Amino acid sequence: MSMAAQQGAAARPRKKYTWLDAVRIALLSIGSIAMLFPLLWMLTIALKSNNEVFQIPPEWFPKEMQWSNFVTGTKEINFWQTFVNSMFIAVVCTLGQVVSSVLVGYGLARLKFPGRKLWFSLFVGSLMLPGFVGMIPLFHMYTSLGWYDSWLPIIVPAFFGNATFSFLFVQYLKTISVSFDEAAKIDGASDMYVLTKVLVPMALPVIVTMVIFSFQGSWNQYLEPLIYIVTPEKWTLSLAMASYKGTYATAWNLFMAADLIYILPMLLLFFFGQKFFMQGLGSVNSASLK
Amino acid sequence: MTRRKLMEWKNGYLFILPSIIGFSVFVAYPLLSSIYYSLTEWSGYDNPRFVGFDNFNYMFTVDPAFWPSIRATFYYVLLSVPSSLILGLGLAMLLNKSLPGIKWFRTIYYLPTVVPSIATLTLWLFIYQPQYGLANSLLRLLGLPEGTWLTSEMTALPSIVLIGLWQVGSGMIIFLSGLQSVPQEMYEAAEVDGAPKWRVSLNITIPMITPILFLQLILGIIGSFQAFNQVQVLTGGGPNFTTSLLNFKIYTDAFNGRLFGYAIAEVWVLFVIIMIFTAVTYRYSNRFVYYESDNSK
Repeated sequence: MSMAAQQGAAARPRKKYTWLDAVRIALLSIGSIAMLFPLLWMLTIALKSNNEVFQIPPEWFPKEMQWSNFVTGTKEINFWQTFVNSMFIAVVCTLGQVVSSVLVGYGLARLKFPGRKLWFSLFVGSLMLPGFVGMIPLFHMYTSLGWYDSWLPIIVPAFFGNATFSFLFVQYLKTISVSFDEAAKIDGASDMYVLTKVLVPMALPVIVTMVIFSFQGSWNQYLEPLIYIVTPEKWTLSLAMASYKGTYATAWNLFMAADLIYILPMLLLFFFGQKFFMQGLGSVNSASLK
Repeated sequence: MTRRKLMEWKNGYLFILPSIIGFSVFVAYPLLSSIYYSLTEWSGYDNPRFVGFDNFNYMFTVDPAFWPSIRATFYYVLLSVPSSLILGLGLAMLLNKSLPGIKWFRTIYYLPTVVPSIATLTLWLFIYQPQYGLANSLLRLLGLPEGTWLTSEMTALPSIVLIGLWQVGSGMIIFLSGLQSVPQEMYEAAEVDGAPKWRVSLNITIPMITPILFLQLILGIIGSFQAFNQVQVLTGGGPNFTTSLLNFKIYTDAFNGRLFGYAIAEVWVLFVIIMIFTAVTYRYSNRFVYYESDNSK
């Protein structure tokens, strides 16, 4: 058996790298230093003591790692309260956006009814509208509903479909043959059954992609919380970090430590979802090329 | 048969109902009502009072902050859109080859886009800090003169654009997946014909991904005309209005100045500018964009 493996290895032509590949790697290495440097700098600042931060000339590495900054940094402000707020909002918004967009995407891709094309183009067309166009009338609408200084203006719209995600789902369903639906329907399955038991399992890569994008979108959103939420106890992390940058003017190490914890959920999401994400994005991309 | 058809119609509308409501309430209603509001004087507390085209008149002829902010907005779009497209495509082409460690490079270049917008901006605020910031520390280390970054009229806007380039990974990943879907046979055919490498890039790779290039261009234009967070977090529009992007001006007029009617009129000006840019891009890109289906006809 090992003989066969050896022969296989010998038979495969050895890949040759040219000097152009070396140039390519060199360019990429220089660029990736530029990409990583700000983040590494952030990490070293977060681990420095108060005196070291403002030392001139600067020390690049902390003499002694101050891991306690991660504890003190999050105590100074109402960090964990806003962290939980952000987490709650992101989870609820993700749930609402993904579920409603999957339902809408199924209707648009698989069911035949008059006006389907019109609605599809209206939804996709609305993506071209700048978000600011609706901002002020919506602000007026929410305040007259008594939703000012609450999370409702952020959470409620998530349950009414997201045009980008519906479009992604429609594109992905195009790659799944209709014969699956038909086979199930002949056996008497309802549309809901076809969608949840047949199609959703097959469309998992695109659904994971939607979950990642949706969570990232709500975790990052800044304008809506800025407009609607006033009470600091109801703030999201984006609001908190933006407004505490002044509070931390003299304690960069604490700010960086808190900022790193703010980034952490996104890093985890990215590393765990990476595989699905590339797959989902790739298939959507090649579908939109056709 | 007709009953089954009716059932399917009913089900179809039931499934897309969330988006029909969403579209009507969150898109159509604000869009249509804002046309009327743009012609009113309105603080948000009182009832809107119809004033005809007074808002636009004031905007174009009196408001001292309007033209500087139009200038800043155009300058920002012209700097950021081409630079991030070129850099994104260039990186994607560099990364589109199976070499040892290439997956690591892809991850590294994508990493900054994972960082939330506000975390990125606050980080760069410290990077640009004149005394202790990373940017000037590095320049001093290399023996170069210090930069003024966000504090001078000349460098403030380019410094903001530079932060966007740090997050070029989001465009890069789209280009990369586009490059990877170019059929391999085309490259093999070119190789058999003995075509030189630069001609393969110019005549196969670039034309094949023009649809993606075009889409990214349009989305880039729409997105950068609406930039807001950068100004709100980093500069507050200064120094001397050089970073007062229109979207930021709209926000401050509406929520600090309580000029709802006027701000909506400005939104409409921004909207029309975006539509004109998109239409022009669309018209002129049509001849360059290559669609596979056109050929098969």
